[in-house]
Amino acid sequence: MNRKLIFTAITILILLPAFAFAISGDEIVRRADAAATFDTAESSGEMHITDRFGTKISSFDSWARGENESLIEFTSRAERGQKVLRTENEIYLYYPDAEELIRMQGSALRQGMLGSDISYEDMTGGKDRASQYSIEITDEQNLLGRDCWVLTLRANTRTVPYPKEIVWIDKQDYIVLKGEYYTKSGRLLKDMEVLEIGEMDGITMAVETRISDKMKSNSNTVLIMKDLKVDIKLDDEIFSLEELSW
Amino acid sequence: MKFIISLAFKNLTRYKRRTLITAGAIAVGIMMFIMIDSMLAGAEFESVRNLKWYETASVRIYNDGYWENRHQLPLDINVPDAEGITAKLEDAGYTASPRTVFSGDMILNADDFGEDGNIPVTVTAIDPQLDFDIFHFGDTLAAGRFLERGEEAALLGSWLAEDIGAKVGYWITIITRGNGGFYESMDLEVVGIVNCPNPNVNRGLVMMPFDTAGDYLAMDGAATEINIKLSDSADVEAAASDIQKLFNGSGLTALDWKYMAADYLALAEAKRGGTGIILFLIFIIAAVGISNTMLMAIFERIRELGMMRSLGMSDGKIRAAFVVEAAGIGLIGSFIGVILGILVNLFVVNIGFDVGFILRDMDIGYRIQSVMRGVWNVDTIGLAFIAGTVISTIVAFFPTGKALKMDIPACLRHQ
Repeated sequence: MNRKLIFTAITILILLPAFAFAISGDEIVRRADAAATFDTAESSGEMHITDRFGTKISSFDSWARGENESLIEFTSRAERGQKVLRTENEIYLYYPDAEELIRMQGSALRQGMLGSDISYEDMTGGKDRASQYSIEITDEQNLLGRDCWVLTLRANTRTVPYPKEIVWIDKQDYIVLKGEYYTKSGRLLKDMEVLEIGEMDGITMAVETRISDKMKSNSNTVLIMKDLKVDIKLDDEIFSLEELSW
Repeated sequence: MKFIISLAFKNLTRYKRRTLITAGAIAVGIMMFIMIDSMLAGAEFESVRNLKWYETASVRIYNDGYWENRHQLPLDINVPDAEGITAKLEDAGYTASPRTVFSGDMILNADDFGEDGNIPVTVTAIDPQLDFDIFHFGDTLAAGRFLERGEEAALLGSWLAEDIGAKVGYWITIITRGNGGFYESMDLEVVGIVNCPNPNVNRGLVMMPFDTAGDYLAMDGAATEINIKLSDSADVEAAASDIQKLFNGSGLTALDWKYMAADYLALAEAKRGGTGIILFLIFIIAAVGISNTMLMAIFERIRELGMMRSLGMSDGKIRAAFVVEAAGIGLIGSFIGVILGILVNLFVVNIGFDVGFILRDMDIGYRIQSVMRGVWNVDTIGLAFIAGTVISTIVAFFPTGKALKMDIPACLRHQ
């Protein structure tokens, strides 16, 4: 009897540190979402949109505040002045040539921004995935020379766009290095993969990411971040509808 | 008076060619009037019928909040327990069928379609065993077969199928948002193609089974609408009100087709105004033709008119003789016009004109897919006959007066 108790105690003592310091899937995703969210940020970049007709490059400036507000203004010649504003619940487009403001809703949200593989839908919704999904660590792999967890996220609500996600999250900086996004019946709808990691304004982040809408053949969009400044002062008016059309 | 009528009749038979030409102009004008009125009235009648048969049904039950958000086709603002609601309506003596309507992207793959692509579509999920009691798709099958409950299959409108190159046996994928907002994909086999007479429907129709859609979209037995059919003679507003009473307090609203198609009806009303203008212009053209012919007929007979005055015939009797003669021409022209109009209308009503080549790629507001047929309108035929005669009579009155103002020697010297 004593021998059995001693064995149990030793086993607990050996395993306790492992349990104590293991990180849960929820916590990994929470940290990854937090790493991708800034109090305020100003950035600029390019989208290289490739489809069967060739590759088109669109450049943009963007501003963001928290997880719910962002503004993208396109600066490339063909789209100069077009803006996409995301507020907590809505997405608005502004076309300077038509001086027209459009609220995106319904099926229009699935349309690709400027014909890219990034849909307006991808801009919506909060980043609090930990509360919306049941998260399980399914594997560990190495991507871009970085160790990462492979997590499977299954939605526990109907209100998220992707009922199932598989994400590869970097163990060191909690960067989502790869993601696969599925429909409820399990069809791969979209995937994303970080091609290059760099440092901007002291933050290690994905500077080149490829996104593919799997429903479009021979199509992908490479998002390249050129510049990032975080925790800067932003005018409150930037994210207002009034400012959008100016 | 007998003399005047006799004189007018003699003049009509004496100038046979002129009488025939003038009467012919009147006849053609009246025939055109009858035909165009018939076609426009027919287009409107058929449009309303096709609207009810293939789009709105007679009355529809929605969730209270659906109508104002209908353009987004929301799935979460739905009619819960569609089966129970349908059964309740059937107990009350109505024929009803649930539908779920949602938007999505139709993905076409190169294996079947030769090229990958996608187009936005509106999908209508129907109960194959109930829907044809409400809507008239039963006799529109152009290829394949109709849907069956529970299968992963789709039915396409023939114009849509033609546009995307779809054939029976091809597979399509629908990417959509389920009830709540999640993405869902459905692989559906095209089992049939219907040629719906309503171009608005035929241009974009995608149908799938109601229960299959319900499973994919997590509708939990709900539908976005319950459609009800009433007899053609039924008072739909009163019926909608009666149906509403069955569901008072349950968050459901019964709307009649006139309310749902208010935009179309307003457009039809505006179009009717335009139609009136077209018919009026046709009438004016015919009237100008008649008056011109009558003017010529009177002025070429001014010397004859002067001779009758010099023999002592009063101006009133001369004018009466010319007016009766004109009325006679009008009567002959109107009679021939009505006969021609009826003959042409027999063709227009029973066979019609195929304008599908215009309507295929252009929406002119009418719910007609190809053949434009007319309707019989006895009032229009009667009006055309009377108007043809009266206008001919009136237009003869004024030039006769002008000729009578000339003195007798001037009339006799008139070339």
